[in-house]
Amino acid sequence: MSRIEIRNLVKMYGAHKALHGIDISIQPGEFCVLVGPSGCGKSTTLRMVAGLETISGGEIAIGERVVNGLRPKERGIAMVFQNYALYPSKTVYNNMAFSLQLSRMPRDEIDRRVREVAEILELTPLLDRKPGALSGGQRQRVAMGRAIVRDPEVFLFDEPLSNLDAKLRGQMRAEIKRLHQRLENTIIYVTHDQVEAMTLADRIVIMRDGRIEQQGTPDQIFHDPDTVFVAGFMGSPPMNLVECMVTPTGLKLGQNDIACATPSSLRAGDSVICGIRPDDIRPSADLPAGASITLPVNLIEQLGTEKLVHFMVGEHALIGKTGGRTSLTEGAAHPLSFDMAHAYFFDPKTEKRIR
Amino acid sequence: MTSMFRHMTTRGTPYLFLLPGLVILGALLSVPLYKVVEYSLYDNVIVEREPTFVGLDNYANLLSDSGFWSAGLNTIVFTVGSVLGHMVVGIGLALLVNADIAPRARTFFRSMLILPWIFTAVVVALNWQLLLNPFGLVNYVLQWLGLVSEPLDWLGNPDLAMWSLLLISTWRGYPFIMVSFLSGLQTVPKELYEAAEIDGAGFWHKFWHVTLPQLKPVIFGVALLDLIWTFQLFPLVWLSTGGGPGRATEVLSTLTFRLGFVDFQFAQAATVAVSILIISAAFTLLYLRNEARRL
Repeated sequence: MSRIEIRNLVKMYGAHKALHGIDISIQPGEFCVLVGPSGCGKSTTLRMVAGLETISGGEIAIGERVVNGLRPKERGIAMVFQNYALYPSKTVYNNMAFSLQLSRMPRDEIDRRVREVAEILELTPLLDRKPGALSGGQRQRVAMGRAIVRDPEVFLFDEPLSNLDAKLRGQMRAEIKRLHQRLENTIIYVTHDQVEAMTLADRIVIMRDGRIEQQGTPDQIFHDPDTVFVAGFMGSPPMNLVECMVTPTGLKLGQNDIACATPSSLRAGDSVICGIRPDDIRPSADLPAGASITLPVNLIEQLGTEKLVHFMVGEHALIGKTGGRTSLTEGAAHPLSFDMAHAYFFDPKTEKRIR
Repeated sequence: MTSMFRHMTTRGTPYLFLLPGLVILGALLSVPLYKVVEYSLYDNVIVEREPTFVGLDNYANLLSDSGFWSAGLNTIVFTVGSVLGHMVVGIGLALLVNADIAPRARTFFRSMLILPWIFTAVVVALNWQLLLNPFGLVNYVLQWLGLVSEPLDWLGNPDLAMWSLLLISTWRGYPFIMVSFLSGLQTVPKELYEAAEIDGAGFWHKFWHVTLPQLKPVIFGVALLDLIWTFQLFPLVWLSTGGGPGRATEVLSTLTFRLGFVDFQFAQAATVAVSILIISAAFTLLYLRNEARRL
């Protein structure tokens, strides 16, 4: 268990700046998830912690040691790769034992550790197989086993579940979570999947274009987003983000007036981006307290336990939600209620939250 | 009736197209092959109009001929030595030109290192004769460095000739191996090296535990192919040393040539040629089986 301090981390590829000074402070035993769209720099950051990429500027410390100049094996880390990177010519046992063999650990100690970890991950019957004879999920577990046997200070996961099908991904997600509860190691986990980020993380770091957009607990990220990007990135279906006009009594959304409280810094006539999650727009019968407008519903997606209600306000396409048993007709106008107590306001120019 | 005809034509058409090629290839391959085997069963072929049939006498004589055995031994030394040389130099250079250096430099080195392959054997042999001459560049440099006190006759000294020949053969033959390994190396996933690095592997461990296992199929196939080629290699040996000095570098292929076109003992030459054929065929079968297993 070690803390990780990343201070003003910069990565240059030639003249191109891929990371613009990243600061992350990860507590001992914390599960930190870096999340963001492709090319945001999350994998680069992880690989710099691992020592697989050089550091162009700034500092990375694991425990009390600055590791900038250290080689990967000297950093006390273990990494799980996206495509597992198992040695194809070695058996599962030797894949897991390899790093211990290299460190000249006594043979019976290696054997004890490998078998213990194999037991935890239910790999014991597979120890003599080669990776080619394993399923995707099994390979994934071997890759994790290979990391665990080394008992590292820090685990690094680089999109470990993205090659698995949806069902297996769900199982492995839970398995990783259980493993973390049991081993209590510090973890940095990279993913582009916001569900993985929400379910696994103690701390989420949202990155975009080589910068940190926001970091915090899943609750903070989800319920208290700092920027339009964060608000739109987390949550599925995403938050509705609509540019509207501030009125003395609330907002003008398309041709409709919505009565609500707006932040005190806003004046009537100001333009503002209003964000409201689909959960907070429901048929008026479900949500009598909200601001109600009658609007044409043009599409209904039945998800089972709930339905997604697609409708238009002026030229904006919005999504609301209702229970799976509520019956609504596509193409008809329905009274929809907006729970404006949970609306967010953002500056259209800076895209920052107005509180 | 018409449907049967149509069936036959559609089924037969591809073979009809293949026929000219097959006939020419067959004639070019099978006639000489048949002739060589036939010659080896007669005495005084070509030289006399009516050669005498001697059955397997030529083979019996060959097996009791010390010249054949020494040429056979030389062939093994030359073949194994060359293949080993090609492998070691080929893998080493493939690793070097696969390294992560400036792309221009990489292209430059890759092209330069393939050069030995594009020269004909005559040019290679003549160049090395000049280089290894007692008054050639190699001796000059060695003397200048103080490694030898007087010039060595690399190709003329029976103790050195085979080593020199192996040097020439290695220089000439490594590019093919290098190119094969280079393409093999490029298919090794980068993550395996990264995983190995995190596991604490240094250069040799990565080479031994990641590179070699990944290259194993390529190594085996290429080594067998090289073995087949080198085993019957003639021009380079003949032009470099002519099998000499004495019989110090005489291999089966040069023995065949000498028997046939220097001594005009065509029956004996054919007999040696058939022995080469049998051994090469065995290697080839091994190679084909290996390739079939890979598919």
